[in-house]
Amino acid sequence: MHRAWFAARLVGGMLSVLLFTGQSFSWGDEPPGLPKVVHPNGDVPSAKQIALGKQLYFDPRLSRDNTISCASCHDPKKGFSNGETFATGVRNQVGGRNSPTVINTAFQRFQFWDGRAGTLEEQALGPIQNPIEMDMTLEEVVKRLNGIPGYRQQFQDVFGTDVNSEGIAKAIAAYERTVLSGNAPYDQFQAGDKSALSESAQRGMKLFFGRANCSACHAGQNFTDNGFHNIGIGMDAKEPDPGRVAISKLGGDTGAFKTPTLREIARSGPYMHDGSLKTLSDVVAHYNRGGIANPWLDEEMFEMKLTELEQADLVKFLEEGLSSSTYPNHTPPELPQ
Amino acid sequence: MKALKVLALTLAVGAVANIGRADDKANPGPQIRTIVRNLDNPSGIAIQPETGHIFVSEHRGVLRLSPQTEEGKKGLARAFEVNRYPTDIYGKGPMYDVGPLGVAFLDVEHIIVADGSRKDAEELVRVYKVGTTSAEKPAKEDSAVYTLGPITAGDTSAKGEGNFYGIAITNNAIHITSNGDDTKGWVLRSQLKDGKPGELEGFIATKQDVQTDAPCGITVSSSGDLVVGQMGEVNVAGDSLLLIYDAKTGKLKKSYETGLSDITGMAYSPATGKLYATDFSWAATENGGLFELTISGDKCEARKVCELDKPTAIVFDDKGNALITAFGTAEEGSKTKPGHIVRVPKKLL
Repeated sequence: MHRAWFAARLVGGMLSVLLFTGQSFSWGDEPPGLPKVVHPNGDVPSAKQIALGKQLYFDPRLSRDNTISCASCHDPKKGFSNGETFATGVRNQVGGRNSPTVINTAFQRFQFWDGRAGTLEEQALGPIQNPIEMDMTLEEVVKRLNGIPGYRQQFQDVFGTDVNSEGIAKAIAAYERTVLSGNAPYDQFQAGDKSALSESAQRGMKLFFGRANCSACHAGQNFTDNGFHNIGIGMDAKEPDPGRVAISKLGGDTGAFKTPTLREIARSGPYMHDGSLKTLSDVVAHYNRGGIANPWLDEEMFEMKLTELEQADLVKFLEEGLSSSTYPNHTPPELPQ
Repeated sequence: MKALKVLALTLAVGAVANIGRADDKANPGPQIRTIVRNLDNPSGIAIQPETGHIFVSEHRGVLRLSPQTEEGKKGLARAFEVNRYPTDIYGKGPMYDVGPLGVAFLDVEHIIVADGSRKDAEELVRVYKVGTTSAEKPAKEDSAVYTLGPITAGDTSAKGEGNFYGIAITNNAIHITSNGDDTKGWVLRSQLKDGKPGELEGFIATKQDVQTDAPCGITVSSSGDLVVGQMGEVNVAGDSLLLIYDAKTGKLKKSYETGLSDITGMAYSPATGKLYATDFSWAATENGGLFELTISGDKCEARKVCELDKPTAIVFDDKGNALITAFGTAEEGSKTKPGHIVRVPKKLL
């Protein structure tokens, strides 16, 4: 299965998309273990649209002081997060939440920790306009990009228009849908290669899908139920982050945040919406304790009484089992001038 | 014949429901009507064979609704058949006091009650003996002739099973949807031998098949398959699935996306053979209602029949009219409970 997939990638196909950096991606040829990417209205983006989206993603000129790009907080070298507790925006302003990974966000039903965006297109324009992150208005960013002949030409080629906010959103979202990670040792093990996981990782996998209750929420091919859960993180703060309830207005969503994917989780620490847990061992210990008690604590949180060895096995499964050798280690493209 | 009486009475006493298109008083045609009010979080409904009496499970116990026999009184007489259940709370906000959740008749004398009044790992399925007329006084909840469960924490279930809800009965087994261990999403089974239920055990781990939580509504198709409504996450809209299982082997035959949010009840119309589902739609209750589900190839289409306020269970009478329980919404200052039963006439289905 593993080799067959590599062969298929090498052969490529008519839909193969060669990005400017030399990284290729073929729609309909998603890595093993992942579902097919679904595009809005079934509108499959072209190679040029994806390449344009990648340039926009890596371009700091989308921010007020030309210092912050999408990749600043969602860096491929840091698991498409930023390696810090919180995101840092223009003028070194620090936000209040950890940067969620972009990996496999194509499959997420909601975007942002509180799920306030339903699509990647909707999400893409949010940080640009956030005064703490990129601090631009859409009018300003459109005007600025229209002043760059390379962008203007590419927008004409891709969308048949000058730069506009809709095109910016579509292009960035199209690129983000190529940030996929699958074909991890876990997938290879599931496909029949029993040597793909170490004994410790296999024990961890059994716990993950069983007594440790992880798959109650981290389920499916992308290891998320796409739901929102209060696991107690930050609920002992003086003023806890309300999380999803601010959007849904459902009391039960108080302190609840989106279930993130666990694919490539070893690369994207620190963890949780507030970046408060530095290592995967910290994360497993938190769950083992049953979280932090509060009136809205999810019913899936309970003391598990895992031994030290069992906790270590769980961490091993997360680190080893869900880290792919075909990680999308994208590099910045040449930017239009 | 008695079922006909019930039907006639319900038509006579039913007030116009504040749902769907039912308020169209100018419309002389069939109406969707609220036939019973002042119920406390009703979540299960069944019709007793032969008598046609309606049995409803709600927070306080199991009620029998039967034609009035007292002169001068209209409507349905109501009396608790079983009560004194403990109370559990479902949800973190909104929160609902719940007791027994699902009901179904094993035969005319035996009613199965899937309980939600206790904590996970302590929950039980009870089978009570009932008569064909109202009991002089309610039976206590622990007076069942058969008690199935509990399923405590162990290999089958990491934290023990609970919130027993939907009930489907085949020739040789009782099937119960359960929501304890969300890594499993069990449909439990008690095999019948000489009419007696056996041990309650894990039968189908639905979550492992479809990676979506919470089997809830369940029924049996004309071909004998188990038809399961997978609720999904309560705070995620549109994630409910329709699952078809081989009732003998427990193997998944088909899974369909429905676009519904929180399927709670499922039933086939005996008149048309069509499948219907109630959608509680937890995150946006204004979208809840009764839906007809039509399978075509790999697709399942959901057609909204009518809006309902937090519907929880559905049963058909032998004429093909649907009776649906709903939590409803309390009116400010009201002293009565908002739970109710709605009757959707066959002609509107």
